[in-house]
Amino acid sequence: MIQLNAIHRAYRSDEVETTALAEIDLTVAAGEFLAIMGPSGCGKSTLLNILGTIDRPTSGAYLFEGEDIAKVPEAQLAKLRRDRLGFVFQSFNLIDELTIAENVALALAYRSMPSREKRERVDAAMDRVGIAHRRNHHPHQLSGGQQQRAAIARAIVGEPRLILADEPTGNLDTENGAQVMDILTRLNADGATIVMVTHSPAHADIAKRTVHMLDGRILSAVRRAA
Amino acid sequence: MPRFALLALYRSLTRDKLYALLTIGGLAMGIATFLVLALYVRFETSFERWVPRYDRIYRVDTAVQFPGSPFNGAYPATMPGMLEQMREDFPGLIGTRIRGGGFRTPNGAKSGAVLRGGIATAENVAQIDPSFLDVFALPMVQGDGARALGDPGAALLSRSAARRYFGSSDPIGQTLTISLDAPANYRVAAVFEDLPANSDLTADILIAIPKTPPPSEWAWYKWGTASVATFLRFETPSAARAFAARLPSFIDRRARPDFGPGASKWLSLPLIPLADTHLKPSGPESASRQLMVTTLGSIGLLTLLIGIVNYVNLATARAGLRAREVAMRKVVGASRAALIGQFLGEAIASVAVAALLGLMLAEVGLPLVNAAGGTALAMPYIWALSLLAAVTLVVGVAAGVYPALVLSRFPAAAVLASARAPGGGKAGARLREALVVLQFGLAIAFLIGTVVMAVQMRHLRVADLGFRREGLITVTSLADTKIGQDQARAFLAALRALPGVQSVGTANAAPGGEGISNIDIVEQPGPPGQGPLLRLISAGPGFFETYRPRLLAGRLLDDAHAADDASDWKRWPLGRNVVLNRRAVTALGFRTPEEAIGKTVGNPRPRTIVGVIDELRFFSPRTADTAAYYIYTPNAVYQHIGAVRFTGDPRAMLDTVQATWRRMIPQVPFRGDTADRKLADLYTEDDRAMRLVGIGTGLAVLIGCVGLWGLAAFSTARRVREIGIRKTLGASAGDVARLLVGQFLRPVLIANLLAWPLAWFAARTWLAGFGDRIALSPLYFLGASLIATAIAVLTVLGQSLRASRASPAWALRSE
Repeated sequence: MIQLNAIHRAYRSDEVETTALAEIDLTVAAGEFLAIMGPSGCGKSTLLNILGTIDRPTSGAYLFEGEDIAKVPEAQLAKLRRDRLGFVFQSFNLIDELTIAENVALALAYRSMPSREKRERVDAAMDRVGIAHRRNHHPHQLSGGQQQRAAIARAIVGEPRLILADEPTGNLDTENGAQVMDILTRLNADGATIVMVTHSPAHADIAKRTVHMLDGRILSAVRRAA
Repeated sequence: MPRFALLALYRSLTRDKLYALLTIGGLAMGIATFLVLALYVRFETSFERWVPRYDRIYRVDTAVQFPGSPFNGAYPATMPGMLEQMREDFPGLIGTRIRGGGFRTPNGAKSGAVLRGGIATAENVAQIDPSFLDVFALPMVQGDGARALGDPGAALLSRSAARRYFGSSDPIGQTLTISLDAPANYRVAAVFEDLPANSDLTADILIAIPKTPPPSEWAWYKWGTASVATFLRFETPSAARAFAARLPSFIDRRARPDFGPGASKWLSLPLIPLADTHLKPSGPESASRQLMVTTLGSIGLLTLLIGIVNYVNLATARAGLRAREVAMRKVVGASRAALIGQFLGEAIASVAVAALLGLMLAEVGLPLVNAAGGTALAMPYIWALSLLAAVTLVVGVAAGVYPALVLSRFPAAAVLASARAPGGGKAGARLREALVVLQFGLAIAFLIGTVVMAVQMRHLRVADLGFRREGLITVTSLADTKIGQDQARAFLAALRALPGVQSVGTANAAPGGEGISNIDIVEQPGPPGQGPLLRLISAGPGFFETYRPRLLAGRLLDDAHAADDASDWKRWPLGRNVVLNRRAVTALGFRTPEEAIGKTVGNPRPRTIVGVIDELRFFSPRTADTAAYYIYTPNAVYQHIGAVRFTGDPRAMLDTVQATWRRMIPQVPFRGDTADRKLADLYTEDDRAMRLVGIGTGLAVLIGCVGLWGLAAFSTARRVREIGIRKTLGASAGDVARLLVGQFLRPVLIANLLAWPLAWFAARTWLAGFGDRIALSPLYFLGASLIATAIAVLTVLGQSLRASRASPAWALRSE
């Protein structure tokens, strides 16, 4: 599904150039559940952002379902994100001014489909993560676990082929973390491809494959038996 | 303010220079606008208040109210003999007349002259009563003014007039040839201080008013005429009221020979307090001047309000960014009161900076405003500084109290725990939106007002006057009573011979409203003395050829028909041929111009209608067209104004006409100008007011935009994360830009609902003052709103586009 060849990402400030990613080669097959681990600042999030097309590599090739998207114009990337990707963040990134249902519906806001279908899809996604009873609340009225489930509902409402999760359990307690991991595992079983950044070895173990990173490089890959 | 608080203010201003520029700059502009317009209002409302005991002085007006008369209304003068009759009936009355020049005219024309070597120089010469100084206690520079006034051969000069004629040598005792009714030699007996700029009195030379009427004044004791200003002094307002109460019986008694019994039914003599005479002038301009002063004063206040709103808006919007500082201060033990004090102090200090900046801006802008408004405003610093101190305190508290309350209420723990800054919540956002609505509502209303004024002034300038205003010069000085008929005719003949001159005509009226206003009653069958009142214009030789009115029916008056000649007024009872204007046709009860032709009206002084012309609009656009009829007086050009129809360069022609005048009539100063300039004099005041309103509007819109820009910057910064989320979810740059622009467009669009009724009411009130006015088209409203909306979109578009193009990864990281 995804193939990265020699991906390089550098940040340039006035005087210093910092290399965030160096010569990354990575393949993610359809239906995989991949965990990325590594210490803070090793480039995990940068890698995830590049996979999610919200950041661009400095050099290298990024093939998404066989299409090199490193040079695709921004407008087309927005369409790709809209139709094929779902994001889950550590800090949830819900919009405070909108209700939970509105936050979930935001993922469909830029698609043209009958509003009834949108409503049905939003309801289904919230049901799936067990948050439907909170539909009219605002994010700050919910617990962290509930907020993250809402964020997952928003990520899946568009039926993406790839879900990118950046430390989805990082801000949650053990119980809520476990719930979120359950949901992700179920989504993977239903056919979604998942790439997840995590600090938790236990949560990494749930994934089918783990990649370890350090200083912008991939150190090793551990593949568990399916 | 404690040192750390000052430091915090200094740092918060210097750290975010753009913010400081927007808040303080916007407020400074508002204060500058307010200051300049306050200066204007102060000037306009200070007229004649420099006169010692001005509150005891009253001007006697003449108000006529005949059913159906085109001349109804109040006039700022009386018949010349009024004061004499009043003195006879009310012994001990203190008063004076001012006859001739002595009052401000729209075009600065001076009546009167000083002759030196047979050449006349125009001067403001006024004739006054010996009791003048009892009413107007002018400060004397030299000589004994009171004694000089008793001497009919003495003259009083203003300080600058004395310098003009005698330089540095002593003027007292010198001789000067002064001409008002006729040239005569006067001895300079005293010098008075120049009259200040805030005065409608402009006399430079004062001489005694004649004890018996001069030959040219047939109306000295003619009730209903108004040619001399009469002022009275009463020690108390109740004395003035008591005198006014006795006037109706005085009028009935004295006006009886001219008006018959019960004259006070038609005629009254209102007493106008001297301080009111400038802002509430009589005549067609009555309402407009005060309206303009009120309007400009309101614009000044409202622009200041926009600046304050701006400050409050940006201060509260940005308050959240200082939440961490507030929280830390609370942690180290600052009380809420101390924090409120700090932020109020900051606001007052910022406003003080803005006030000083505003004063500088006002000082720099004042010459421009003076040039645009035709004013001579100067900044009195004691007044300005005390006003600014008051403004600083009021605005500082008004602008500081809300941010102070909001900031001091931030809960310390929540602020420190949260990664994000509180922004005042929904209520804060609502308030900011309401304030933007207010700002733009006012700005759009100003804009509509400016558009309406500009269109109306343009309309006046190009309006069809019934004659071609280009290629026309009028010579007003030809109407001077010191010019004999033969001299006038010789001058007209000389003009006709000039190359480029097509025709030369005369009449007792001319474009710009100068000349003599005569009304004439056209008697209808029935009780005697009843009938419509028409303006009577006597057209001299060449009048119709020069003005070329549109003929609607019949023919014009000419030399080919002997019966057209009405030069000899003694023969008028035998019958005259007349030409009507369109309005007179209706006034006399005819349905069409054709129907009027050949009819004879007005027994026992029959007038036979031979033609009907379209209106010739000579008068102020503020007066409605009046019904008029024209008679033809080819052999009587006495007190007529000359008119020259020509081709070629107007300036060269005017020079030639003036040179011809100087050669042939040197004893009278030349007064003449192109007709379009004469007509422009009628709109001068409106033109200036329009320019001042335009400047105020421009600044109001600018300040509004500064505020909107700052608010957009703040709001966009706050929404960076949301933008990141939306883009991550697949929103395109266009979607985001539309979202952000739309957010700011909403208050601007709502602002129209506030602006339209406000502007409609104001524009209608202003336009009501014009006889010839434009219709209030909805297009002006839509146009102004469109302009404001476009400006608002342009203001926020740049930031919205930049925000929409930002990489979402960066946006999400930036919390």
